[in-house]
Amino acid sequence: MHRRQKPGALEHKRDLAAHGGALSMSHNDTRSFFNFSQLVLSAGHLKSPPVLKHSKITYFEVEILDMQSKKQICIVDKVPPSSTLLDVKHKFHKACPQWYPSRVGLQLERNGPYLKDSINIQSLAVSSIITLYFTDLGQQVGWTTFFLTEYTGPLLIYLLFYIRLSTIYDQVESTKNFRHPVVHLACFCHCLHYIRHLLETLFVHKFSGGHTPLKNMIKGCAFYWGFTSWIAYYINHPRYTPPSFGHRQVSFAALAFLMCEAGNHFINVTLAHQNHSGSKACFPSPTYNPFTWLFLLVSCPNYTYEVGSWISFTVMTQTLPVGIFAFLMVIQMSLWAQKKHKLYLKRFYPEVRRKAAMIPIIF
Amino acid sequence: MAASGSGGGSRADNGYGSQQPRRRKGPGALATAYLVIYNVVMTAGWLVIAVGLVRAYLAKGSYHSLYYSIEKPLKFFQTGALLEILHCAFGIVPSSVVLTAFQVMSRVFLTWAVTHSVKEVQTEDSVLLFVVAWTITEIIRYSFYTFSLLNHLPYLIKWARYTLFIILYPMGVSGELLTIYAALPFVRQSGLYSISLPNKYNFSFDYYTFLILVMISYIPIFPQLYFHMLHQRRKVLSHTEEHKKSE
Repeated sequence: MHRRQKPGALEHKRDLAAHGGALSMSHNDTRSFFNFSQLVLSAGHLKSPPVLKHSKITYFEVEILDMQSKKQICIVDKVPPSSTLLDVKHKFHKACPQWYPSRVGLQLERNGPYLKDSINIQSLAVSSIITLYFTDLGQQVGWTTFFLTEYTGPLLIYLLFYIRLSTIYDQVESTKNFRHPVVHLACFCHCLHYIRHLLETLFVHKFSGGHTPLKNMIKGCAFYWGFTSWIAYYINHPRYTPPSFGHRQVSFAALAFLMCEAGNHFINVTLAHQNHSGSKACFPSPTYNPFTWLFLLVSCPNYTYEVGSWISFTVMTQTLPVGIFAFLMVIQMSLWAQKKHKLYLKRFYPEVRRKAAMIPIIF
Repeated sequence: MAASGSGGGSRADNGYGSQQPRRRKGPGALATAYLVIYNVVMTAGWLVIAVGLVRAYLAKGSYHSLYYSIEKPLKFFQTGALLEILHCAFGIVPSSVVLTAFQVMSRVFLTWAVTHSVKEVQTEDSVLLFVVAWTITEIIRYSFYTFSLLNHLPYLIKWARYTLFIILYPMGVSGELLTIYAALPFVRQSGLYSISLPNKYNFSFDYYTFLILVMISYIPIFPQLYFHMLHQRRKVLSHTEEHKKSE
């Protein structure tokens, strides 16, 4: 082979020399490069690396069927194997614009669990076509919207009752009766509570970007707004009876309320900081701040402080409807605290073992 | 209210595709035995009430004021239905606790908080209307459960359960609404179960308004339950038709 080329190269060299002898400096280089390139080209079949030659990306096809009717809605094709379910949902949204990703619930089998967005497509595939069942999860709202609506309502509703609208209360009685200072204090505390919640939603909490069905928001709002109307009606009523133990009861309860509010705030800040710095690998630890010392005794001190706020508010106003509301909140918070506590037990076993879920020592 | 055969949709042994095809393990042998006894006792109890009504009618010659003759068994056996909530809570009956609680509580509310508490309505004819509706429904319902648990359900009972409600349910609801309506003036007059301001705990409750709200709540709830039962009827009775044809 080599020998055959040599005369060819020589021929070519002569041509080059004939065409342009001006490039005498690079001539040598060109020649040697040319020689080398000829050598490579003429080398024939080299043993080629197998990966480079035979690799090909297999794209997946995702077939989306309606769960109820089993009819095909659409096929999402050209899905690269490294993509996640969220990418598929985005592609599906492009094909069918009315189903935006947070509203789409996809299952592997007809009555199975909903698949998480972060699941890799490749882990689901048994062949190059994947079949998924679609359920419409309903209109979704973001968590920030959810909380803002839920907390603004009570704030405004209570104030409506506080100013004693003539349609709610009898005007004659309203103007006649002297208002006990505890009524003003109660309004202040109630507004403080909800303003704090609103500010925390806006500036402190970091939501994981999830969504929740609109129905949940309606239920939550109905509960909070309904109860706020009920309690505001009695506290601001002209015939309101101040607490039996007078100023002592009110001051003590108000102090407890303020402490619980502060505690709740500091705990939320601590949790948000932890979330932010990404160190979710360990249980939040108490700092120099005395309010965070509750972390030593309890795994969900934010719920403890919330419950504490509402119980102090009940004692401060001595109103049965507030008591009923506080009772329901205690039940709700206990359920949430228990769930979270179980999660913590699994994740941070040794530390959390001796802690209670919400109320120190007891529960 | 819960009335005639409502809740049939979500009660035990009504499977037939009304629920998701989940693998549910049924009640154990001991639970089944207890449930059979419970249902037999309830069937017997409501039969006693039925017999009591008939005897009182024959003795008196008129259908007015028959309530007094069956007052005690009615209270006893209707209150006994509270156990059904526990059955659901403990899982031996595959029904929703909330739904069952709602139905039973509405019945118990009518028996105690309206008919027993407001003595003046006990002579009303509307009371007889709902008592008869309840009696017939409950006899059929409890015998349906008994036979289902023993796996020997005669078609007649199933047919009766899913058909008679068409008349009995509206009959029961009318009787209940008329009774509550009759009770209203007496409640207003006596201030029954009502607290007014001012009081130490800053709470008020007006039973009169509460009763009116209860009456209004029948408007959305009754049609829903009624059509649910009609839907169930179509499903269950047509399913049996197919079953029979295939045999």
